[in-house]
Amino acid sequence: MSQEIFAALMIAALLWPLLLMLREPLMAALVGRGEARFPLDPLWATAPLPALALALLGGDGSLTLSAWLLGGVWVLDEPRRVLLGFTGLLWLLAGWYARGYLAGDGERAVAGNDRAASRLARFALLWPLTLTGNLLLLLAEDIASFYLGFAVMTFAAYGLVIHSGTRDALTGGRAYLIMAVLGEGLILGGLLWGAGSLGTLTLGGLREGLVNLEHGVWIGLLLWLGFGVKAGVAGLHLWLPLAHPVAPTPASAVLSGAMVKAGVVGWMATLPLGEPAAAQGFVELGRAMLAVGLAGALGAALVGVCQRHPKAVLAYSSVSQLGMLAALVGAGLTAPGLWPALAPAVVLFAAHHGLTKGALFLGVGIGEHPPRLPAWALALLLALPALSLAGALGSGLATKWTFKAALYDGGHSGLVAWLSLAAVGTTLLMARTLWCQWQGERQARHNGLMPLSAPMPLAWLLLLASGLLLPAWLPLLGAEGGSPPREELAGLWWPLLAGLALVLPAIWLTRRGVSLAWHRPPPGDLWWPLSRAAGRLVEAARAGGERLAAIKGGWVAWWMELERSGTAALDALGEGESWLRRHAALLTMAVAIGLALVLLFGAA
Amino acid sequence: MSAAFFPVATLATSLAAAAIIFLLPEGAFRARTGLNLAAALLKIGLVAWMVRGLSQGHAYAVEFPVLEGLAFVLRADALGIMFAGLSSLLWLFTTIYAIGYLEDSPNRRRFFGFFSLCVASTLGISLAGNLFTFLIFYELLTLSTYPLVAHRGNPKALAAATLYLRFTLTAGLVLMIGMVALHALAGDIRFGQREILAEFGAEQRGTLIAIFWVLIAGLGVKAALVPLHGWLPRAMVAPAPVSALLHAVAVVKAGAFGIVRLVYDVYGAELSHSLGLLTGLAAVATVTILYGSLRALAQVELKPRLAFSTVSQVSYVVLGIGLFGPLGTIAALSHLLHQGLMKITLFFCAGNYAEELGIHRIDELDGAGRRMPLTSVAFTLGALGMIGVPPLVGFLSKWYLGTGAVQAGMPWVIAVLMVSSLLNAAYFLPILYRLWFRPGPDHGVGTWPAERHLGRLETSAWLLLPVVATALFSVLAGLFAGLPYTPLEWATRVANLEYLP
Repeated sequence: MSQEIFAALMIAALLWPLLLMLREPLMAALVGRGEARFPLDPLWATAPLPALALALLGGDGSLTLSAWLLGGVWVLDEPRRVLLGFTGLLWLLAGWYARGYLAGDGERAVAGNDRAASRLARFALLWPLTLTGNLLLLLAEDIASFYLGFAVMTFAAYGLVIHSGTRDALTGGRAYLIMAVLGEGLILGGLLWGAGSLGTLTLGGLREGLVNLEHGVWIGLLLWLGFGVKAGVAGLHLWLPLAHPVAPTPASAVLSGAMVKAGVVGWMATLPLGEPAAAQGFVELGRAMLAVGLAGALGAALVGVCQRHPKAVLAYSSVSQLGMLAALVGAGLTAPGLWPALAPAVVLFAAHHGLTKGALFLGVGIGEHPPRLPAWALALLLALPALSLAGALGSGLATKWTFKAALYDGGHSGLVAWLSLAAVGTTLLMARTLWCQWQGERQARHNGLMPLSAPMPLAWLLLLASGLLLPAWLPLLGAEGGSPPREELAGLWWPLLAGLALVLPAIWLTRRGVSLAWHRPPPGDLWWPLSRAAGRLVEAARAGGERLAAIKGGWVAWWMELERSGTAALDALGEGESWLRRHAALLTMAVAIGLALVLLFGAA
Repeated sequence: MSAAFFPVATLATSLAAAAIIFLLPEGAFRARTGLNLAAALLKIGLVAWMVRGLSQGHAYAVEFPVLEGLAFVLRADALGIMFAGLSSLLWLFTTIYAIGYLEDSPNRRRFFGFFSLCVASTLGISLAGNLFTFLIFYELLTLSTYPLVAHRGNPKALAAATLYLRFTLTAGLVLMIGMVALHALAGDIRFGQREILAEFGAEQRGTLIAIFWVLIAGLGVKAALVPLHGWLPRAMVAPAPVSALLHAVAVVKAGAFGIVRLVYDVYGAELSHSLGLLTGLAAVATVTILYGSLRALAQVELKPRLAFSTVSQVSYVVLGIGLFGPLGTIAALSHLLHQGLMKITLFFCAGNYAEELGIHRIDELDGAGRRMPLTSVAFTLGALGMIGVPPLVGFLSKWYLGTGAVQAGMPWVIAVLMVSSLLNAAYFLPILYRLWFRPGPDHGVGTWPAERHLGRLETSAWLLLPVVATALFSVLAGLFAGLPYTPLEWATRVANLEYLP
C-alpha cells in the first residue's frame, strides 16, 4: 500500500466519525425544529468502517504531521492493528445494535416527544465523538495525540452514560466523571513529569527513557493509577458497576469492551515493559500491579455474584477480567524476559474480552426483549459467550492457552494457579449473569414480548460469532490466533468444572428457597461510604472557609475603621485650621496685645 | 518607510480614534461604529506588518529624551509585538462585541472614547522600550479604565470602580518608587539591556532583591496576585466587554506582561534565578493559583466564578516565569496569549447569557445549551481549555509548564498543576453539565429570568460573531500549534531570543 493511500486511510479513519457527528446538527438545522427525524440512520452507523478498513488493509507504517499539536505521529503496527480491528468491529456492531435499541425513542421523537428527540440527538452526536477519541488513542504515538484521544473519549462518553437521565443514571455518570477526572489528573502528572524529564514527545521515547530515570518508578506509579481508573484497578473501579447498568446497552458494550481497554493500552504504551535494564523500582511496581490485579480479579468475582442486575454482574466481571489483564502486565514488568511472549497474549486477551463482553452486554438487551426463538436456542446463544469468557471454548480458550503457555515457559506456574482461581470466579459470575437474565426473561415473557427491531439480533449474532471465531480471523490483522493441543484441554477446563461444581448446588439450594446472600454489597461497593466521607469533608471545608471569610471580614473592617478614624482626625485638623482662619484677626490682636503687655511690664 | 513610523502610527491610530469619538455627537452611531472598526482593523494591519518585518530582521523604534538621562522610548521587539498582536486582535472582537452589547444604552460616546484610550495605553505598554515609558502607559491604562468600570453608574459599579482605583493608584505609586530606586541605582535601563544589572556585584544583591519585590508589588495588583487581587472579582459589575478587557486583554495582562518585562528584559532570567527571585515568584504564583481556584469553586454566580478563575489562570504566566529555563519561558509567554483567547471567550459567553436570557447565576443556566447552542459550544471549549484538555490551547500551556518545571528542577509544580486541573474541572464541569444535560426552559421546565430575542440567530450577530471567532481561534491555535505565527510558535521564538546568545 502506498504511503499516500495509507495516510488517507488513517486520516479518514479519524475524520469520518467526526464528519458524521457534524452532520447531526447540520441536518437538524436544515430540517428545522419540530420535524423530528431518526438520527441513527445506516450512514450514521458506518462511522467505524474506515478504521476497520485501515486495520484490515493497512500495513505497518506511520504518519507524521508536524503542524498537529506538538507534532503528531500516528502509527500502525501489529498490536495496534489487532486493537484497532476489534475496537472498530465492536463499535460498528454496537452502533448497529443501537439503531434497534433506540428505535423506541426514535418513534417517540418522530411522534413529537421532545425529550426523546433531544436524548437521541445527543446520543447521535456523542457516539461518533467518543469513537474518534478511542481510535485516536490507539493510533497515536505522540503523547499529545494520545492524551487528546483519551480525554475526548472520556468526556464524550459521559453523555452516553447518563443517556436516560434517570436518577441512577446521574449517580452513575457522577461516579464516572469524578473518577475519570481524577484519572486524567494522574495521567497528566505522569506524562508531564516523564516527558519533561526525558525531553521526549512520543510514547516510545517515554517508555524507553523511563527505564533508568531517577524518579522513573514514581512516574510509573502515577501512570499505573491514572490509567488504572479506566482499567478498573481494584479500589479505582468504583465507577464501573455504577455506570454500566445505567448506560444504554450498546454504550455499556463499548464502554466495557473497548473503552476500558484504553487503560491497558495506556500501560502498554508508557510503562517500560520487557526492558531488562529497568530499575529495581519497576520490579516492585510490577509486583504491586500483579497483587492488586489479582486482588481485583478475585474480589470483583465475590462482590459480583451478589449483584441482582445482570449488567452490574457483567461490570464486576469486567473488573475481574481487567484485574487478570493487570496481573499479566504486572508480570511483564516483574519479569522482563516474559514480556515478548506475554504481549501478544495481553492483546489477544483484550480483543477476546472486548468482543465477548460486548456480546454479553448486547445479550442482556436481547434477553430483555426476547426474540421469537425457542427458549432453549436463546439460552444456548446467551450461554455461548459466557462459556467463552470462562475460558471453555472459542476465543476464551485460545486466550487462556496463549497466556498460560507463555507463563509456563517463563516458569510462573504460581501465577497460573491464581489466574485459574480467578477463572473459577468468572464461571460463577457468568452463571450469575445467566441466572439474572433468565429471571428477567421470564418476567419479560410474562409481561408480553416487546417488539424487537431487526438490527438488534443481527448485530448481536454477528458480534457473538466474531468473538467466538476470533482466533480464526485474527490472522487477517496479521496476528497469531493460537489454539491449544488436545492434551492441554483438561488443564484449561478445570476452573470451569470447579465453578460449575459450586454453581449447581447453589442453584439447587436457591430453588428450595434457601437464601445464599446474607449481605449484598450495593453496586459500586466502596463508592457509597467514600462519597459520604467526601461529603462530610466538603462540609467541614465549607465551614472552615466561612470562618476564614469572617476573619478576613473582621480584618478588612478593622482597616476601614482605622481609615475612617484617620479621615476623621484629618477633618478635625481641617476644622481647627478653618477656626484659626476665621479668628485670625482676633488672635493676632490678642497676641500683639499680649506682647505689648509683656514688653511694657518687662521693661518696668 | 522609516523605523519610527510604525510604532507611532499604531499608537496614534487609537489615540486619534479616541479623540474623534469624543468629538462626535452621542447619536452618531454609524460614524462611531465605522471609526471603531476601521481603527481596529488598521491597527491589526500595522501590527501584522511589524510582525512580518520583525521576522525579516527589520527594527522599529523611536525615542526622544524627556529629562537628562531619561528617555521616552517606543520600540517593537519580538516580545512586545506578541503582546501588541494579542491585544489588537482581541480588541477587534471586543469592539464588535461592545457595539452589539451597548446598543441603545446611554453614554456610548464616553464609553467608546475611553475604550479607545484604553487600547492606546495597552499598545503603549506593549511597545514601551523602558520602564519609564511603561509606567506612563500603565498609569494611563488605570485612568482610562476607571470610567469603563464605573460605566453603569449605579452605586455598586461606583463602589467597585473606587476600589479599583484605590488598588491600582496605590500600586502605581509603589511601582514608581521602585522604578525611581532602580533608576538611581543603574540609570535608564532599556528593555533588553540585561547586562546593566548583571554587572552589579554581590554587595548590591540585597538592594536588587528589595527593588525587585517592590516592583512586583506594584505590578502584582494588576496581575491580581494574591493578596493583591481584591479589586478583580469586585470589578465584574462592569459591562461584559469591559470584563473581557479587564480579564483577557488589557489590565490583568498588563500586570503579567510587566512582570515578564521585569524578569526577562530588566533583570534577565539568569540574574533573577541567581538572586533566588524566580523561586519566590513560583511560590507566590502557586498560592494564587490554588487560592483563586478554591474561591472560584465557592461562587454561585457566573461572572465572579470566571473572575476568580482569572486570578488563578493569570498566575500560570507568573508560574511559568518562575520556572528557570526556555520551556518555562515558553509556557509563560504562550499562556499570556492562550489565557486571553480562552478567557475572552468565556466572558463573551457570560455576557451573551446575561443579555439574551438574563442569566447571572450558575443554576439558571440549566438547558441553555439548547437555546443558545453556539454560545454554549464556545463556553464549553473555553472551559475545557481552562481545565487543560487538548486540543485547546490551555493544554499547551500546561504541557510547557509541566515540562518546564522538570527542566527547572521543580517537579513539585506538577502536583500544583494536577490539583489546579482538578479544581478547574470541579468548577467548570458542573456548569457544562447544566448547559447540556439539565432540562431547562427550552425543554419546558421553568422560564428564563429575562428572555429577549436580540436577533434572528440565537442572539444578536454582533454578540455571536466574536464569541465564535475567539473560540475557533483557541481551538485552531491548539490543534495546529506547529504552524508558524501561532502563539506557541511565536513564544518559542521569543524564548529562544532570551536564552540563545
